[in-house]
Amino acid sequence: MSVRHRAGRAAAALLCALAAALPGVAAGADAEAGRQKAQLCMACHGENGNSAQAAFPSLAAMPGQFIVSALYQFREGKRVNAIMSPMAANLTNADLNDLAAYFSAQKLRPPTATIAPERATQGRMLALKNNCTACHAATLTGQQHIPRLAGQQREYLAVQLSAFRAGTRAEMDGVMTSAAQGLSAEDIDLLADYLSTLNTP
Amino acid sequence: MPATRLLHCGLLFCLAAGAAVAQTSAPPAPAAAPTWMQGQAAEHANSTHPFAPLLTGRPASELPLDKLKVPAGFKVEVWTDGVPEARSMALGDKGTVFVGNRNLSNVYAVRDVNGKREVKTILKGLQSPNGVAFKDGVLYVAERERITAYDDMENRLDNPPAPRVIIDGLPQQAGHFWKVLNVGPDGKLYFNIGSPQNITMPSYLQAAILRVDPKTGKLEDYAKGIRNSVGMDFDPVSKQLWFTSNARDWMGNEGPQDILSKVSYKGEHHGFPYCHQGDTLDPVYGKNRSCSEFTPPVLKLGAHVAPLGMRFYTGNTFPAGYKNTMFVAQHGSWNREVKQGYNVVHVTVDKNGHAKSEPFLEGFMTDPKADPPMWGRPVDLLVLADGSMLVSDDYNGVIYRISHSK
Repeated sequence: MSVRHRAGRAAAALLCALAAALPGVAAGADAEAGRQKAQLCMACHGENGNSAQAAFPSLAAMPGQFIVSALYQFREGKRVNAIMSPMAANLTNADLNDLAAYFSAQKLRPPTATIAPERATQGRMLALKNNCTACHAATLTGQQHIPRLAGQQREYLAVQLSAFRAGTRAEMDGVMTSAAQGLSAEDIDLLADYLSTLNTP
Repeated sequence: MPATRLLHCGLLFCLAAGAAVAQTSAPPAPAAAPTWMQGQAAEHANSTHPFAPLLTGRPASELPLDKLKVPAGFKVEVWTDGVPEARSMALGDKGTVFVGNRNLSNVYAVRDVNGKREVKTILKGLQSPNGVAFKDGVLYVAERERITAYDDMENRLDNPPAPRVIIDGLPQQAGHFWKVLNVGPDGKLYFNIGSPQNITMPSYLQAAILRVDPKTGKLEDYAKGIRNSVGMDFDPVSKQLWFTSNARDWMGNEGPQDILSKVSYKGEHHGFPYCHQGDTLDPVYGKNRSCSEFTPPVLKLGAHVAPLGMRFYTGNTFPAGYKNTMFVAQHGSWNREVKQGYNVVHVTVDKNGHAKSEPFLEGFMTDPKADPPMWGRPVDLLVLADGSMLVSDDYNGVIYRISHSK
């Protein structure tokens, strides 16, 4: 066995161990299987789930339960998207859990774009005012079924927030639709700027 | 703020949250806070968040089932897994268990086929089909804004009939839109419409238990001032309707308490939003009111325990003392720093009408300070023909069975 293969095996074992320790990811989830199944996902969501395209969200370091929930909703037609709906249509429950185990264990690359410190402060204030941290965690890195916002693609964030505000984005419990009703277009711009440039590993 | 929301919004709330609405005819200001955090005190911000089910469920083999505890003589086992977000349950005449859910679009049927459970998707494309009830061959389903009937359903699991709409156009609301459904001794369908927000002035259709006659579609309000009842059942002896209700959030870790109560007459008011748990005036809506105006609960169950399904035990195989007593499934806290609930309690009422509860099924909570604090969440209960009782768990998509042997 080559050194490279052995390293790959060790990494895979580590991923499995990580996946088992992550709350919300099924214990049987297999991150190495997820990595193999994820090859097609990476065409849009980027290498290791680090998206390089504004419209496509990064999946690296996303909470596993959120990934499963999103794919489940696409598969069952609760969320509809021209690209994602057919992608999710034939995934099994095991596929969802494996993909979640893989992407949730990846490192998110620090954002390359920056904003002025004053604008970042304004964004922070707006995020606190809207209680984003209550569910998305103090670090805005997400938890359980609640997605990571820190370092996410800017356009993706803005589109999702606008869709929540318009009441067209499906979700579980109405919390985000309700939360987004208080946002102006300027607010959404500011939050997208702030969150997409927020570097929390 | 859409016009419908305005109609549902009480005067005090509008004054507090929507000054712009009152001042101008320009597009009104949007709602100030999401439904779940509306009424939140500053010191509670950023401390808690709701939990969500694992939508794919988990196989029973992955669950720490040895943690589950029932009283001596009882046994708890997995009846089936693989029922996504299993919530409300209803029993068909031939033993089929129908299962609804809050987030998905399907209704499931579970049958015992030669000692093994077979899970079948029978209805698709529904809106939050949380409520299910069965009577005389008809399956009734309560969705987000309508109630429908499926005739001869148990004989048509593979070929379901088109739905007959009993009632449509129920209030569109962002919060507490999921319904439970129960057929009364009068043949009418009893269901809840919750408060549209954590604490607000409800419309005449909200924060209530209503009933609709499936023959005519005639809708009546039955009991009022009930924030959100997600479990109800009729006393097999007195025929009175008993219900659980979830109290408002953001008034602290210790209260107000969730309740178990009963309806004594049509139109009876149980206090929301003015008075909570029978003795605690709301800091905003309770001004100039008295708790003596309203019916107090029969039993306070605890703060943030989230009582959902409740049933009378009508079987014959539990010990005699259990006959016609109640069980309540408690989904467990999110709006409390130290979590509680996550269990099934047994409730007895003495001849003076005093109720008390004791633990019955425990072990879902792993650490009351952890996030998440549990590995499973009980939702609804169902007594089977053989006298055993099912417990649904939406977090894992699993249904457990509790039986007793002498």
